[in-house]
Amino acid sequence: MKGPILSAKGLVRRYGDRVAVAGFDLTVHRGEAVGLLGPNGAGKTTTLSMLAGLVQPDEGEVLIDGLAFVGEDDPRKQRVGLVPQDLALYGEISAAENLAFFGSLQGLSGSLLKHRCSEALDMVGLTSRSGDRVKTFSGGMKRRLNLAAALVHDPDLLLLDEPTVGVDPQSRNAIFDNIEALRRAGKTLIYTTHYMEEVERLCDRVVIMDHGKVIADDTLAGLSQRAVTAGRMAMELADVRDGAWLQTLQSVSGVVTAALVDNTLSLEVLEVDRGAAAVLACLRDHGVRVTAFSTHQPRLEDVFLQLTGRSLRDG
Amino acid sequence: MKTLTQLVALVRLDLRLFLADRRALIMLFVVPIGIASFMGSLFGGSGTKGGKGGIGGGGGMDIVMVDEDGSAVSRGVVAAFQNDAQFKVLLTNAAAARDLVLNGKRPVALVLPKRFGADAIPGWFDAKRRPEITVWHDPSRSMERSLVEGLLVPKVVQAVAGNALTPEVGRDFIRKGLTNLDRGPGRMLGQSERFREWLQRSDDYLATLPSGGRLTTGGTNTFSIPLPFSTKSQALTRTATAEYNGYAHSFAGMGIQFVLMSLLDMSIGLLRDREAGMFRRLRAAPLRRGTWLLAKTLSFGLISLVSLTGCFAFAIVVFGVRIEGSWAGFAACLMAVSAMSATLALTIAAIGGTPAGTRGVGIAALLMLVMVGGAWVPAFVFPKWLQSVSRVTPTRWAVDGLDAMTWRGLGWEAAVGPIGALVAFTALFGLIAWLRFRWETE
Repeated sequence: MKGPILSAKGLVRRYGDRVAVAGFDLTVHRGEAVGLLGPNGAGKTTTLSMLAGLVQPDEGEVLIDGLAFVGEDDPRKQRVGLVPQDLALYGEISAAENLAFFGSLQGLSGSLLKHRCSEALDMVGLTSRSGDRVKTFSGGMKRRLNLAAALVHDPDLLLLDEPTVGVDPQSRNAIFDNIEALRRAGKTLIYTTHYMEEVERLCDRVVIMDHGKVIADDTLAGLSQRAVTAGRMAMELADVRDGAWLQTLQSVSGVVTAALVDNTLSLEVLEVDRGAAAVLACLRDHGVRVTAFSTHQPRLEDVFLQLTGRSLRDG
Repeated sequence: MKTLTQLVALVRLDLRLFLADRRALIMLFVVPIGIASFMGSLFGGSGTKGGKGGIGGGGGMDIVMVDEDGSAVSRGVVAAFQNDAQFKVLLTNAAAARDLVLNGKRPVALVLPKRFGADAIPGWFDAKRRPEITVWHDPSRSMERSLVEGLLVPKVVQAVAGNALTPEVGRDFIRKGLTNLDRGPGRMLGQSERFREWLQRSDDYLATLPSGGRLTTGGTNTFSIPLPFSTKSQALTRTATAEYNGYAHSFAGMGIQFVLMSLLDMSIGLLRDREAGMFRRLRAAPLRRGTWLLAKTLSFGLISLVSLTGCFAFAIVVFGVRIEGSWAGFAACLMAVSAMSATLALTIAAIGGTPAGTRGVGIAALLMLVMVGGAWVPAFVFPKWLQSVSRVTPTRWAVDGLDAMTWRGLGWEAAVGPIGALVAFTALFGLIAWLRFRWETE
């Protein structure tokens, strides 16, 4: 099918006087992996709820394959899989029973349901524990089952709401492997998180939200370009006799700031590669010897800081 | 087809979760059976034939009697109570009797005063000489006091007649009566001549009896003062074999109470699921809110039906409770009670909103309903105004319907009223749950 799998136009959602989402636009094509990034309270979960058809927007519309959801039991919901932030599982029954239940709600039954449950369990590596009660699972295993429950009906579009919250590094890696496998299988993903490194690993496009609005929507490379001014370098120096060379260094083209504390020289440059060469030439001309050298490339965290003025993990 | 698949999945899940919850199983089966067995034994036990203990049971009510007179008449009163199977009489002195009642060890004490026997006959005609029987009673046991006072009259009359009324005394009273008749013209409203004739004949009859003989009740050659009535006690049920079984009522009452409590607990579980984010996943599926509510009503109703059936099966096997009325009516009553209980639990959850709020409101509301509805004690012991109030509670209709089909032995037509009321309550509660239950979590 041609055209975007998901299209959201001008979504607004209010809770009393509070505006949770204030005009959200997004178009997602098949096979894309979009990271929805923002601090707590940015409106990510509400946005995801509207995209999944759980909440009606006060304004705007959500289109799946060009058509809006109609009613609670719209069959287009079967094309979407939601991985909620909370562990939405029944602890008193087995993993297989959980998946069978959620699959039945999606209209699956009989051998197809069994087959899909088996596939989903296999994908998250829980086949050997399929008959065990979920309450006996570790946190990481529950997270993986939480993912499987959204996959059991084989949706085309997967909405993942912070799926790695509170899991150990090993389980997190296992979930990343699962999501990368889904990408390879051609699934479309929208992944909300406030962990920058997750987006950098899993997504090829990033939408940054703050205060219910989209403040950036670009590829990772495109966003990194915006933060190019933030390139930094640090050098350990020997034979620092006087500071006359420091004034010369500050006037070198491409150097934004230069500061010397003890034997450590810290610099901000417009472009790290060109800036580094010019700085090293200037130091050599003044007889200053460099014993160690490091650079810091701008990352998404810096972009976010630059765009919003606050860190991602700020409440 | 998809809706049916969803409905079956939702109902099956609830049953599976219910069976996996040991605490819920105990609450629905073990606890009501235990408490109903206890309550049933208090309220009459297994029927009128050979029932044990309790107020209405065959074990007899413990009372205390004090005979300060020691006359034949007072001894006759004491013997009358001792020979009555409804009482177990402890004969003691006044101080001990008072202590026993004061300490709540006996509900009632009767004190027959000195000269009771001597004054009993003159007291019949002279209010100033009438002996006074003291009745001490525990203020919390008014039912027992009423029973003792009610039975005191015939026992005293019979004891006095049998022990103090000789032919001579009788003739003396007749002579006084004839004298009074002469002094009061027109006293008998024109029938004085016929009364005089009747007294004269009685006097003639007494003159034929041996001097010094006693006038007892019964016997062919003795004079008696019979009571102007006799009683024939018969437990009134529709079928000849039906008899009251206290367990039938207590199992109905306690079964309903614990079904409601358990369903309240399950509906609070729904609210916990909602808080925990489970509803986000449910609503992400193509599932109607109406389908979900219907599934909850069905699963709650089914659990309720199984629990009530289990309780009654136990009562039938162990305590001999019988469905003396219509089996179809009984089954329909159980289904109506189950449907009403399911929707009531959902309504309480819808109104309560949060788990904590629902628990508080729910427990208070359910206790009130089961208490006023007669689930603990039969509604007929309530004051009249409370009986009227109880008519607007679904629990009253539920208990009445089950009572009618069990120990009252009424036909299916007697179940129509309670079932109609329960269906109406089900519709009302279902509507409230439909309108008020919050499906969205955001």
